[in-house]
Amino acid sequence: MSAVLGTAAVALGLAAAVLGMATLALGLRRGHPGMLWTGQRYVWLVLAGALAATAAMQWALHTHDFSLEYVANNGSRSTPLLYTITTMWSALEGSILLWALVLAGYIAVMARHFRNRATDPVVAWATLVALGVAAFFFALMAGPANPFRLVAGAVPTDGPGPNPLLQNHPLVAFHPPMLYLGYVGFTIPFAFALAALVTGRMGEGWLVETRRWTLFAWGFLTVGIVLGAWWSYEVLGWGGYWAWDPVENASFLPWLTATAYVHSVMVQERRAMLRVWNLSLLVATFSLTILGTFLTRSGVLDSVHAFTESPIGPSILGFFALVVAVSIALIGWRGDKLRSPGSIDAPVSREAAFLANNVAFAAFAFVVLLGTIFPLLAEALNGEQLSVGAPYFNRMTAPIGFTLLFLMAVAPALPWRKASAETLHRRLLWPAWAGTLAVVACVAAGLRGVGPLLAFGLAAFAGAAALRQLGLAARAARRSGQPAWRGLLGRSSGGMVVHLGVVLVAVGFAASSSYGHRAQFRLAPGESASVAGHTVTYLGTTTEEHSNKRTTSAQVRVDGGRVYEPALHQFPHGSQAIGSPSVRTGPLSDVYLTLIVPPDSSGSSVIGVNVQPLVTWLWTGGAVMAFGTFLAAWPGRRRPAEPHARPAADPEPVRSEPVVVS
Amino acid sequence: MSRRLRWGLLAVVLVGALALGSRSDPGPVTEDRRVERITSVVRCPTCQGLSVAQSDAPAATAIEDEVRRRVQAGESDGQIKAYLVSRYGQDILLQPEAEGVGLLVWALPVLGGAAAVAGLVLVLRHRRVQPGRKVSAADEALVREALGR
Repeated sequence: MSAVLGTAAVALGLAAAVLGMATLALGLRRGHPGMLWTGQRYVWLVLAGALAATAAMQWALHTHDFSLEYVANNGSRSTPLLYTITTMWSALEGSILLWALVLAGYIAVMARHFRNRATDPVVAWATLVALGVAAFFFALMAGPANPFRLVAGAVPTDGPGPNPLLQNHPLVAFHPPMLYLGYVGFTIPFAFALAALVTGRMGEGWLVETRRWTLFAWGFLTVGIVLGAWWSYEVLGWGGYWAWDPVENASFLPWLTATAYVHSVMVQERRAMLRVWNLSLLVATFSLTILGTFLTRSGVLDSVHAFTESPIGPSILGFFALVVAVSIALIGWRGDKLRSPGSIDAPVSREAAFLANNVAFAAFAFVVLLGTIFPLLAEALNGEQLSVGAPYFNRMTAPIGFTLLFLMAVAPALPWRKASAETLHRRLLWPAWAGTLAVVACVAAGLRGVGPLLAFGLAAFAGAAALRQLGLAARAARRSGQPAWRGLLGRSSGGMVVHLGVVLVAVGFAASSSYGHRAQFRLAPGESASVAGHTVTYLGTTTEEHSNKRTTSAQVRVDGGRVYEPALHQFPHGSQAIGSPSVRTGPLSDVYLTLIVPPDSSGSSVIGVNVQPLVTWLWTGGAVMAFGTFLAAWPGRRRPAEPHARPAADPEPVRSEPVVVS
Repeated sequence: MSRRLRWGLLAVVLVGALALGSRSDPGPVTEDRRVERITSVVRCPTCQGLSVAQSDAPAATAIEDEVRRRVQAGESDGQIKAYLVSRYGQDILLQPEAEGVGLLVWALPVLGGAAAVAGLVLVLRHRRVQPGRKVSAADEALVREALGR
């Protein structure tokens, strides 16, 4: 029954998307408002299709309907409830279904938000483009990635359950949906960008319309990436959180271009410059989410996340090529309307800093993209098998990271248009001293190595600069008779809070990757070992049978205090035992324990100990970034007075560029 | 204190601290350090994207033992890597050697970065306020429409 319902739901979604597109296209061609209005209604049918398909899939998973190939391959009777729900995104077909569901949700919210402007050509075109993307994903489900395909031959009585790694930690319920909310969210600004290009309404109107959408998508993507790193740290057992794995890179690439966009868009709003560049960044962000799906879902690259080889590769690659070709053609076609009326007045100004920031982010994205696909290129060029891994990425991206931290420290203090030496001196001296003193303090504390010291110094500089801005905003709010916290709402202050989060992440990354210690010991019960000043005492092991696995846990006392239990899980259908680390977290350092070899006949086990400083700063930083995004999206005055962003001796210049408000 | 003096003082303190901090204790290059240095750029063949140094997988442990044996036997880093490449193939190294096709992955970002910085400098130096720019009729219409609202 689920198969019939699911297939029908997918067909409904596909048909509604295609019919909606056709109606909108016809309405736009004939200038018929009624048809535009009707066309937009189809969005709700698409949503209904996605919801029904999801319900059918969940129903099939929970009723163990093994007549569905997807359930037979990924479900099992012994899987606990939480992981039965998450099985929907534990393999290729189901993850496409989740994508379609999130996309349909976004399009529906967009249709509702713009319901009073259904007949506006920009809105109609944007809906059409978004429905086109939805049609593609529903077509994938109707064809090569059909989640409701029936098993060939006899219906099995039980299945293997999801990949053992995907039923080992509750974060699997949050990381993929968050990531998808991020990825898919960029469809809306992309649709509006294309709509603006097609209709020729190239002013800043579409930017303003989609600003909050972009911000939310960016925030979700950030949270998704941080949760992914956290999942990796808590589950994979190697003690790290970021391996420059192709799928991690695939999520990081759109984040980089989207971050560049979030910054450069301010230059366009303020100075009407960088129009082509902003459109390109938006197109790049959207196409990189598609390219990432191709790289990781088609089996061309090896990765922790790569599902088995699948036939959807060509379709996704074709869609990617289509998106890129259409976007470039449209930008080329509208080239004359995109020429910017403004120009950069001085090399030391806010807009010049944003430009430098964008060059750095673009370079970052280029390096990550090149490194990720280089093994494919090398093989295509002369059949050579090469690996490009963490050592390459760390070495190549470190200088770009330092540049970005420096810009993050300096840019918020720069005024638009032109900065005087006096302004720079007044605004930057104390933050710069904060950075310098941080370096001095670290050296005094015995830390060595130019890389991490530079990272700490720049991070402190950037942190102080952000705090200074927040202080100014709070003071400005108080002066205008509002409570100080009101000054923390809105885009500029929210952005500074995000910067503080980035500072925490940067410090955590630099510290944990530079000053970690790892060791492994074979210990008999009662024996102790010590790593980087921490003593671990192995007490013994216990074994427990669960419905879906057998768990062997080791009891390890850390520093004579609490007992931690790293474990090994043996799943009936998985050949290899899956380890689950146990971590003593602390604000200054984590002690990360793994059970590497279960006890032998004499009772001694091999325990891995990994001591890394400041790992919790990464997760805290992620939370602060999410909070900052929330503050930045807070509705309110469009542009706060920003008295601190203006050169003191230079009153706000009269705007000379035409400002287009649609 | 003059403005320049204050920044000069800051620069002196910063450079001094960094110089002091960069002097990592030289110590002898121990066997452990050499093994760590080599295994951190060698891929664990059964893991995904992890180095031998990061992984506890049996295959990684086997390679680490082999590397340690060869370090003890007095082989150079280059010899050990060459051995690993001959045994497992070029892709056992986590970063390509800067030769042949592998050179591209190192050179392209450097060239691209240089070009981008050059472009940025060019844009910033050739900034020019365009006086008397003609406003098109379409722009004016948009402004009128916007103001009319």
